[in-house]
Amino acid sequence: MSVTQDRVDQLLGGVPRSLREIVTPEGVALHVELAEHGERAAAFAIDLAIWLGVAFFSWLVVFAFVVETRAIGIVVTLVLFIGFFVRNLYFIYFELAWQGSTPGKRINRLRVIDRAGGPLTPGAVIARNLTREVEVFLPLGIVLTAGAGGLADAVLGLWLLLLAAMPLFNRDRMRGGDFIAGTIVIALPKRLLLADLAEQSARYVFTNAQLAAYGAFELQVLEELLRKPRNYETTQALDGVCDRICKKIGWTGAVPKARAVEFLTEFYTAERAYLEREQLYGRARADKNATPG
Amino acid sequence: MSLSEASGRLVAEEEPRPVVTLRSSEFRRGREQGWRDLEALVAKAEQRGIGALGVGELQRLPQLYRAALSSLSVARSIALDRNLLQYLDNLSLRAFLMVYGPRQSLAEGARDFVARGFPAAVRAARIEILLAFLAILAGTLAGFLLTIGDEAWLTALIPDSMASGRGVHSTRQELLDDEIFAPWPGFARSFVVFANFLFQHNTIIGIMTFGLGIAAGAPTILLLAYQGLVFGAFIGLHYDRGLTLDFLGWVSMHGVTEFGAIILCGAGGLVVARSILFPGRFSRVENLAANGQMAARLAVGAVAMFFIAGILEGGLRQLVANTDARLSISALTMILWGCYFCFAGRGARR
Repeated sequence: MSVTQDRVDQLLGGVPRSLREIVTPEGVALHVELAEHGERAAAFAIDLAIWLGVAFFSWLVVFAFVVETRAIGIVVTLVLFIGFFVRNLYFIYFELAWQGSTPGKRINRLRVIDRAGGPLTPGAVIARNLTREVEVFLPLGIVLTAGAGGLADAVLGLWLLLLAAMPLFNRDRMRGGDFIAGTIVIALPKRLLLADLAEQSARYVFTNAQLAAYGAFELQVLEELLRKPRNYETTQALDGVCDRICKKIGWTGAVPKARAVEFLTEFYTAERAYLEREQLYGRARADKNATPG
Repeated sequence: MSLSEASGRLVAEEEPRPVVTLRSSEFRRGREQGWRDLEALVAKAEQRGIGALGVGELQRLPQLYRAALSSLSVARSIALDRNLLQYLDNLSLRAFLMVYGPRQSLAEGARDFVARGFPAAVRAARIEILLAFLAILAGTLAGFLLTIGDEAWLTALIPDSMASGRGVHSTRQELLDDEIFAPWPGFARSFVVFANFLFQHNTIIGIMTFGLGIAAGAPTILLLAYQGLVFGAFIGLHYDRGLTLDFLGWVSMHGVTEFGAIILCGAGGLVVARSILFPGRFSRVENLAANGQMAARLAVGAVAMFFIAGILEGGLRQLVANTDARLSISALTMILWGCYFCFAGRGARR
């Protein structure tokens, strides 16, 4: 998997996302965005809350039922029993039924996927969730019951905490269960298809020499700028960009401020037509510093 | 477009405007409807589950998905429209996850697991199972020898929670009456024994044995050996009072299944440890992914075995108050498990 970050996002100060590539069985590489630590923690907190809620409710029912028959010994046992069952079945059930997401993950738009791009198998789901018992609940239990323990307990606790903090120490943010199951957790936002910026006809005509000033990167930065909702700030930015482009390509005519957006849209169209044509002829150009071909 | 002028020009208002044709725009116009259809299908399935799609929609989904993938490939080579590329990437990924998502429900998965997956995983992990068995055996021998040498070891080896009153002071008669041939305590009490031991102790130990395999296997071996030590110490206690056979009969009712489960958990942990320690031709991470699922199958099967052992322990054991009968039942469980692991699911390979 290649480690990349989107250059355009980086330049424009978007949320920097770590991108990874998976290859589908059809042989097409798809980009996936790794989930952030915070998102995963939030998803887990929601799941934990749901687990506690369900378990607590079942405990109440059991308690009401058993208090009638006055067998307190059984209550304690049942409480542990139900807690254990709900906890383990909850994650496995949802990740199987909801294609790799649980309620918490769904709210945060996260998914568990196979790292290599294969199907997510039930075995993988079970493996990554069984390990959770050791990775999360065991350290949690030890930390919660700690206190009177000696040095050995402290060392054990520290060691288990390190195990729980594993996603912080590897670049794919995998926890132990992800390693064992061969999975990663990704963020899956919904992207919308916006209208094509390219115009059908043009008032401004540019020469090939002018269009050769830029590459695909600059084109896409321009596209992002043009797609931003217009307000004072973006209009200022567009005016600045317009001046810079005019200077760079040696545009002799003046472009009035009111026409800046129109000019830029047409320049975008012409530039894209030019670069796409060049790319088709095998002379793709990544950015203005790259030599074509 | 005019190439004659060096600096570009503004077309005058009365002149006809030059028409710009972008191949990527043409391409988009031709295919956009298919993408929109796919997006609607995927959104519906994401919202309400894949079951919400009708038969016709289910048939269209893979077709539209392949079309979107091919669009993406084409777009990557001819288009520089960033929004379009990102949209197609995202749409293909969402459809991909829908098309290649887990296909088995929990019930189907469980059936397949019992019939095929679990015994196959056990057969595949022969060496690790042998190692885990040896670790327990070594622990048992050590515990036994230490205890018959000096019974003070009992207090050191057996935690209070497990001793439940048994110890150096126990007499032969006490052990016979309160432990080996104690009356069946009734349904409620046996349930507490069952659930407590199953979920407070055995399963946690089992899962720990498995999960700690990720720490290169040393904790796994230690935990296994420790289980053996405790067991060996108990044998020693009964050996000193001439109850070896009665104790073995009493303990093996569930012990065969329980130790089988612990060994499987340990073997799972060792499979994980092997992938980390001896990666061979592939990277450690790839190895873990390849073997981890098999290891997890062992652990899940072992949890099921703990369940059965718990039922045998809490329910059946005290009802059969005869050492010969107990030993035969143990032998029977051993044979049944052996047959299951050796022969189940051999024919049905996927």
